[in-house]
Amino acid sequence: MNNITGKAWVFGDDINTDLIYPQICYTLPEAEKPFHAMEANRPGWATLVEAGDIIIGGKNFGTGSSRPAADNLKKLGISCIIAESVNGLFLRNAVNTGIMAIEASGVHDAVDEGDTITVDLENCKITDMVNKRSVAFMGLPPFLMEIIENGGIINVLRAKGLLGKPL
Amino acid sequence: MNIVEKILLNHSTEPVKTISPGDIATVGVDRAIIVDMAALHPEFVDNPPLRPFDPDKVSLVFDHYVPAPSIEIANRVNRLRKLVSRWGIRDFFDTGRGGISHVLGGELGWFKPGSLIANTDSHTIATGAFNTLGRGLGTPELMNIIATGKTWFMVGETLKAELSGSIRNGSSAKDVFFHIASVTGDIPGKNIEFAGTGIKTLGMDERSAISTMCAELSAEFAVFPVDDILRNYMDSAGVGDYRAIAPDRDAEYFDEIHIDMESVEPMVAMPDRIINNVKPVSELGRVNVDVAVVGSCANGRLSDIRDVAEVLRGKKINRNVRLTVTPASRKVYMEAERLGYLSTIIEANGLVTNPTCGACLGGHMGVVGDGDTVISSTTRNFKGRMGSSRASIYIASARTVAISALYGYIKGDLNE
Ligand code: SF4
Repeated sequence: MNNITGKAWVFGDDINTDLIYPQICYTLPEAEKPFHAMEANRPGWATLVEAGDIIIGGKNFGTGSSRPAADNLKKLGISCIIAESVNGLFLRNAVNTGIMAIEASGVHDAVDEGDTITVDLENCKITDMVNKRSVAFMGLPPFLMEIIENGGIINVLRAKGLLGKPL
Repeated sequence: MNIVEKILLNHSTEPVKTISPGDIATVGVDRAIIVDMAALHPEFVDNPPLRPFDPDKVSLVFDHYVPAPSIEIANRVNRLRKLVSRWGIRDFFDTGRGGISHVLGGELGWFKPGSLIANTDSHTIATGAFNTLGRGLGTPELMNIIATGKTWFMVGETLKAELSGSIRNGSSAKDVFFHIASVTGDIPGKNIEFAGTGIKTLGMDERSAISTMCAELSAEFAVFPVDDILRNYMDSAGVGDYRAIAPDRDAEYFDEIHIDMESVEPMVAMPDRIINNVKPVSELGRVNVDVAVVGSCANGRLSDIRDVAEVLRGKKINRNVRLTVTPASRKVYMEAERLGYLSTIIEANGLVTNPTCGACLGGHMGVVGDGDTVISSTTRNFKGRMGSSRASIYIASARTVAISALYGYIKGDLNE
């Protein structure tokens, strides 16, 4: 997988799934859902996101439910989520929807909002290209990277012929 | 090994001899549960798994939106119903038949001690009361499990929570959980194992309330040991073929906490989150409430409805409060009806709804509006959880909710 570069949006601790994917999203048309991300904690933010932007989070990013929160961020154009710690269920959901979620201790203080960030996947290093600070991270196990590279678990299942016709 | 590690080892699909923190365990699951919310995930209804790994190990439970509150949702769950014949599933519980999956599964003996359950809902950790590991997983992941019968877990460290004493009069298991939460904070990626002499004073409803609420700690698994109370429960559910799991003598835990249940007074979680946000009701000061809700997989159980009826018997709730009581399952509903709890609540001007998740998820059956102050026995109080993001949601036990409905402000003890 290539390195990821994008502009940083910095969030705090405990950003939960109900903020990322509010209840009303469930019944909205697909195209509208992403624009409701974070509307309760950061109104208007979703409309400012540009394709390729990166989210920097604090502790336990994505805590909460199994709702498709990671998918909502992916569809908004977010290329990668990096946080002090990533909630376990959110991490699985991110992998399964084909978006990188990375735990990097120290990232929240190292990165300034609006700066361009580079994620060096080979050397497991995140760099804020403006203030030049870097932090290291632990890469994901290869079998999870493979799911991300395939664009998510559904593509993997489809390729194996395990999916049926629509209900 | 501790209980979590042993159950994962017993389900491993690899020839491993031991499991410890840091390992990735590849496991086979005993049952996969799909709830009606799956109908709202286009990726599921547009490309459902071709066939399940075993149709007898897949359950379909309608619980969140029962009955369907809009044409949109009615149409979507109609699509989900087609799975029953397409896959040949026996365990299908439609509107009117079942209840909230985490409660129904216990009633039906799906959560056998020593087993491993996957469910699309995040409070699946509830199964821990039954010495069962359960994990809420995203819909795409459940699709993988349904197709293959397998999944994986990054094995986390385990906290031992030693419970002693018994719950004091006026307090309940929810308060014990809040006290635990105030000691542990959140523990993402980690597990909790309960131990100690206090467990034998807790019935299955109380254990379930505690294990269910551990979802709010971001724990992976929260599990109770097996004892006579659980064995008797399984006997009465007609389930005998299970392999209960006890921790080894040299089981490892990253930390141990001691909880004296006797000392826990009624507690409340302040709006927007539970972690680092609970306090005894006695320290709250006066908070008037508009809405009171009793329900959910944590506290919509028979013992909760009983607590509400006991508080409200022969009285009327405060005229400024709207109280909604939602039994967690058909069985709870019927028992509560038989025991007269429901008519007591109705006579007190409470609204009793059909079994469903209802107001807990803010989708129907008690959606709250701007500026509403809510006291609820449900599981989660994230901003906007129960409707408007401008409502303030306090979480407490069913008993505290009922007392608050009676007085019109949050109050934890009838005799204060
Ligand atoms: S009652 Fe609430 S927490 Fe429990 S399964 Fe339903 S929506 Fe989830």
